[in-house]
Amino acid sequence: MKRILGAALGILTAIGGFVDIGDLVTNAVVGSRFGLSLVWVVLLGVVGICLFANMSGRVAAVSGRATFEVIRERLGPRAAGANLVASFAINLLTLTAEVGGIALALHLVSSVEPRLWIPVAALAVWLVLWRTKFQIMENVAGLLGLLLIGFAVALFLLGPDWGELVRQVTQPSVPQSESPAVYWFYAIALFGAAMTPYEVFFFSSGAVEEGWKAKDLAQNRVNVLVGFPLGGLLSVAIAATAAVVLLPAGIEVSSLSQIVLPVAAAGGTLLLAAVIIGIFAATFGAALETSLSSGYTLAQFFGWSWGKFRRPARAARFHLTLIVSLVVAVAVLMTSVDPIAVTEMSVVFSAVALPLTYVPILVVANDPEYMGRHVNGRVMNALGGVYLVVIVVAALAAIPLMIATGAGS
Amino acid sequence: MHLVMSQAAERGARVIAGAALALAGLVAVPSCTVPSRQEPGQATAAVRDAVAQATSAVETTRLTLRLFDDDRIPSTVADTALLDQLRVLDEASTALTTLVPPDDASAAHRAASADAVDGAVTSVVDARAWVAREAGGNLSADGGVPTSYDELASDLTDVADGLGQAYAEAGGQ
Repeated sequence: MKRILGAALGILTAIGGFVDIGDLVTNAVVGSRFGLSLVWVVLLGVVGICLFANMSGRVAAVSGRATFEVIRERLGPRAAGANLVASFAINLLTLTAEVGGIALALHLVSSVEPRLWIPVAALAVWLVLWRTKFQIMENVAGLLGLLLIGFAVALFLLGPDWGELVRQVTQPSVPQSESPAVYWFYAIALFGAAMTPYEVFFFSSGAVEEGWKAKDLAQNRVNVLVGFPLGGLLSVAIAATAAVVLLPAGIEVSSLSQIVLPVAAAGGTLLLAAVIIGIFAATFGAALETSLSSGYTLAQFFGWSWGKFRRPARAARFHLTLIVSLVVAVAVLMTSVDPIAVTEMSVVFSAVALPLTYVPILVVANDPEYMGRHVNGRVMNALGGVYLVVIVVAALAAIPLMIATGAGS
Repeated sequence: MHLVMSQAAERGARVIAGAALALAGLVAVPSCTVPSRQEPGQATAAVRDAVAQATSAVETTRLTLRLFDDDRIPSTVADTALLDQLRVLDEASTALTTLVPPDDASAAHRAASADAVDGAVTSVVDARAWVAREAGGNLSADGGVPTSYDELASDLTDVADGLGQAYAEAGGQ
């Protein structure tokens, strides 16, 4: 019974923790401009994140060490250094976006300027990181993030033309008002949002924090293979509500306040309140995860003592990295940069960094010295190979498309 | 031991410097992505983009006011949504005022569009004042605040029509 409850909790937190500010904004923007014609990218991204999170969790559970430590040992400091630079930079950008997202959610319920909320949000994130146990932190944020199901509820309450939505999904096409270059730019952004690198590093480090062993592999697989796809459905629901309400009205999403309007139109203030709490929890949870990921990546590369399972005094440089990362995020946001613009940049650059993040995981998951009998099978490697091609193409095309389309404008 | 530590520290410093450079690059590259539209066709396209942005802001304002009038959103959410639209309109206005039209036709499109966007700004400002009044603010018709939702809705319809016309004149469909 305890195992079933544990598995259920793992799945629920995986669903609630799947969506972050990048998913929220990108899906809403795409829904309001392209309808559901880019849902195939969400599907592609979800399969990809399931594949690599599963590999990464397996590496951690079998070796008892986080992926980054193994990568450094297996590939040497140079290749691992490239991985570190890419992952750390993207992680910092994502953390900045998440802290901005918390401030925007608070702005929405208070009308108080986001810049006043930014230091408060960062301080709250740090306090939770400092004081709260890993499992409590992960479970509370993940469970409250489940309130984003409000988007799916709103979609049903709106009573859309389901046939039309299915047609958009099954026969994707570029709307007349948009160019193919912009369509592909957003396809890459959506792919980057679904496969954000921090998710994999957090997943594997979290497995070490929670003391996973090889016997926990089945639960790892269930969490990933059930939780992430259901989280992906939440992403589709966000895009669908925008497609049903905002697209016909000619509204292009450029702010968080627009994303929640379809929810209010469908369910009124109660559903709106639930979704805003969900947004707060999702961005707060992701801020916790990205802060920790900053510490994980750096500490695991340099061989520092790390982890929330250690007292802060026993992992001083790890905790200092968390603090410095949060200070940098606040400093960037206090320059008045638009958090939504930071979010859009973070998902595109996530796509650029994907090969540097995911190729080493594929290499390590194939090494019998570390993985023993849990080394990748043929199917995993075939899928990994296909994704390698997709990831490289997306990474190469991201910046040229961003320049050609004026960042999708 | 000391040598090993200092080599490790040097490597670490190099990696961190690389990360800082990469981050600076991430911030700098997007600023290079703003297209310069100097040819007549490009100038008209830039005008259309700005008008489309303004139209989106006006439609968001209409939806927000309708939801607020129906008690489906609280005043804080309505106020935030309207404030966000003022920022969008500010961007649209900046795009138009900083555009150097290459010929008379695009100059005319720009002028008509700028007027329409100015009208949109006024309407959204009025809408925000009305929301503040409905939320208990000490504002009245004497201060130029619209007295009813219907008045605002009618005003916004006119503004949307004006923007639609400007968009069509700039070659939009």
